[in-house]
Amino acid sequence: MKDTGLRELCNDFLDAVESHDLERVAELYAPDLAFWVNLTGAESSRERSLETLRAGHALHRRRTYDDRTIDTFGTGFLVRYSVNVVTHSGKRASLSACIVAQCKDGRITRIDEYLDSGRFRPPRQEAQ
Amino acid sequence: MTDSEIRELCNRFFDAYQDRRVDELAKIYAPDCVVWHNVFNREMSGADNLAALPKSYAGQRRRTYNDRTINTFAGGFVIQYTLHGVQHSGHRGALWICIVGLCKDGKITRIDEYMDSSKFAAWAGVEGRRAKAALSEAASGGSRAQRAEGERS
Repeated sequence: MKDTGLRELCNDFLDAVESHDLERVAELYAPDLAFWVNLTGAESSRERSLETLRAGHALHRRRTYDDRTIDTFGTGFLVRYSVNVVTHSGKRASLSACIVAQCKDGRITRIDEYLDSGRFRPPRQEAQ
Repeated sequence: MTDSEIRELCNRFFDAYQDRRVDELAKIYAPDCVVWHNVFNREMSGADNLAALPKSYAGQRRRTYNDRTINTFAGGFVIQYTLHGVQHSGHRGALWICIVGLCKDGKITRIDEYMDSSKFAAWAGVEGRRAKAALSEAASGGSRAQRAEGERS
């Protein structure tokens, strides 16, 4: 994939997560997607990742993925961003995170996510 | 810089960090190098980072930077790695960290480090306030301000 396609895929993915468009997220995930996060050190499957997104949606009033800095490399992209959350009580929180993604044929095949759980507790899955 | 040059610089940086070669790191950092950590959400100068390293290194018997996965892009690299530490007590721990390095003219101009602070106590084999203070030491050297923040928390 070329730089432009990778950047578009990255923004499509974060836009879909932000707007809770899980059908679109599912389209962007390759069937054999692996999702790894430094909070657990464990890989989860495509289905498990979608389930986590589904369950995590109700935790906050709003969650936006801002300040995106995207770089691309031969097989994927790196995005550094801020997750800004508004809780149901109106409290605001922000954390800085980054994702390294491997991509193929217009889809994401692997996501490695790095963030600091000290900024959000609990639950852990809400940052995904 | 080419892909090969950026990869070489990245490995030189991590080898020097692992071998506690502060003199070599000083050659690798650009004069205006900035180091940022997601845990503190604060920038520090490369000079402050280097000044904090001797004390930071004294905290562990050994640190190794393993399982390095490097990808390069125009102007820099992203490296995913495992930081293995052996404390003076013999306690061993591992942290998963990602660093984004921006490079120019053979030097690193910016470092963004991403880690999970909640894993630090287990890594260091300590608890509570000591863990938070030690975290500031391990996060690429930390700074006096960051150490103070860790101790206050």
